[in-house]
Amino acid sequence: MSRRGLWIGLALTAVAGVFLFVLAKGFGRDPHEVPFQLRGKPAPDFTLTRLDTGAPVRLSDLKGKPIVLNFWASWCGPCKMEHPVVAMAARRFGQEVQFFGVVFEDTEENARAFAGTPDPSFPQLMDERSRMAVDYGVTGVPETYFIDAQGILRDKVAYPIDPRTMAEKLAALKQPAGPLSEVVR
Amino acid sequence: MTGWVLGLLLASYAPQQAGSALLDPPREARVQALGKQLRCPMCQGLSIADSNSSAARAQMDKVRELVAAGRTDQEIRDYFTSRYGEWALLDPPASGMNLVVWGLPLLLLVGGALAIARAMRRPAVAPPTQAPATENERPPSDDPYLEAVRAELRR
Repeated sequence: MSRRGLWIGLALTAVAGVFLFVLAKGFGRDPHEVPFQLRGKPAPDFTLTRLDTGAPVRLSDLKGKPIVLNFWASWCGPCKMEHPVVAMAARRFGQEVQFFGVVFEDTEENARAFAGTPDPSFPQLMDERSRMAVDYGVTGVPETYFIDAQGILRDKVAYPIDPRTMAEKLAALKQPAGPLSEVVR
Repeated sequence: MTGWVLGLLLASYAPQQAGSALLDPPREARVQALGKQLRCPMCQGLSIADSNSSAARAQMDKVRELVAAGRTDQEIRDYFTSRYGEWALLDPPASGMNLVVWGLPLLLLVGGALAIARAMRRPAVAPPTQAPATENERPPSDDPYLEAVRAELRR
């Protein structure tokens, strides 16, 4: 092979190598994965009002017990499907974990109609102008966040949660902080 | 068509809220400039300043709040990347894996320019010294049919 041919071959191999590296990097990721930058960081504090009583709820007053925050809206179809799953988990695990629904970009009237009869094990909070949702990096609804007893954000589910995933995430919340499920879908 | 119109009428939509109160013109200009740099999480390739979605409005409110609080542009960009990742920036920084995206076209451009310069420096190809072989000078072929055709042509 001529010297020129050798150089061309080397250059083409280098370009193909870089191309394959980029492809491998892209294909190696779960396409459902949603970036969760706040994993392992303290959950941003908030003070929101309860939809049923109007009483303020402050995150920093709730430490000592794990918390599940479920963001939803009455105009969100998948939230309707998911709501009973979270409500059922709240009734089942409400003694060990505190469950809160957070109303995202909705009116109180619509939210009341959606949530139905107030459930003390699953109180709903109004997030005026979505200030708290932006602090948490919410990209849409439904999204569910898991905060441990020390106030650390441990996990996030960015799709309508099913009973099995809910049970797995709640079990992980009871474990000491460490490598949690890496896939956030 | 009727089904489409009915679907639109019955569909649920996020109630629209107006954005927060505008700041004074110089600071509001900063808010808009920053909003142009941040990606709307619910839209396709739109900045939060250009989108009408409720999520974009909420993020613009946050930008306005941070500008009003005296945060620098970098601090505000950091606030969003710490929550949404680098994906939140419409113009990602040239670092890490992004370097490949930024650097590869440049590398190919430089490589192409070098190849062209090298080709132009090379002397022009000399004209062929020998005329192409005529029909009579061609070496005899082993193929009898080809030889028969040649003999026919020479006639």
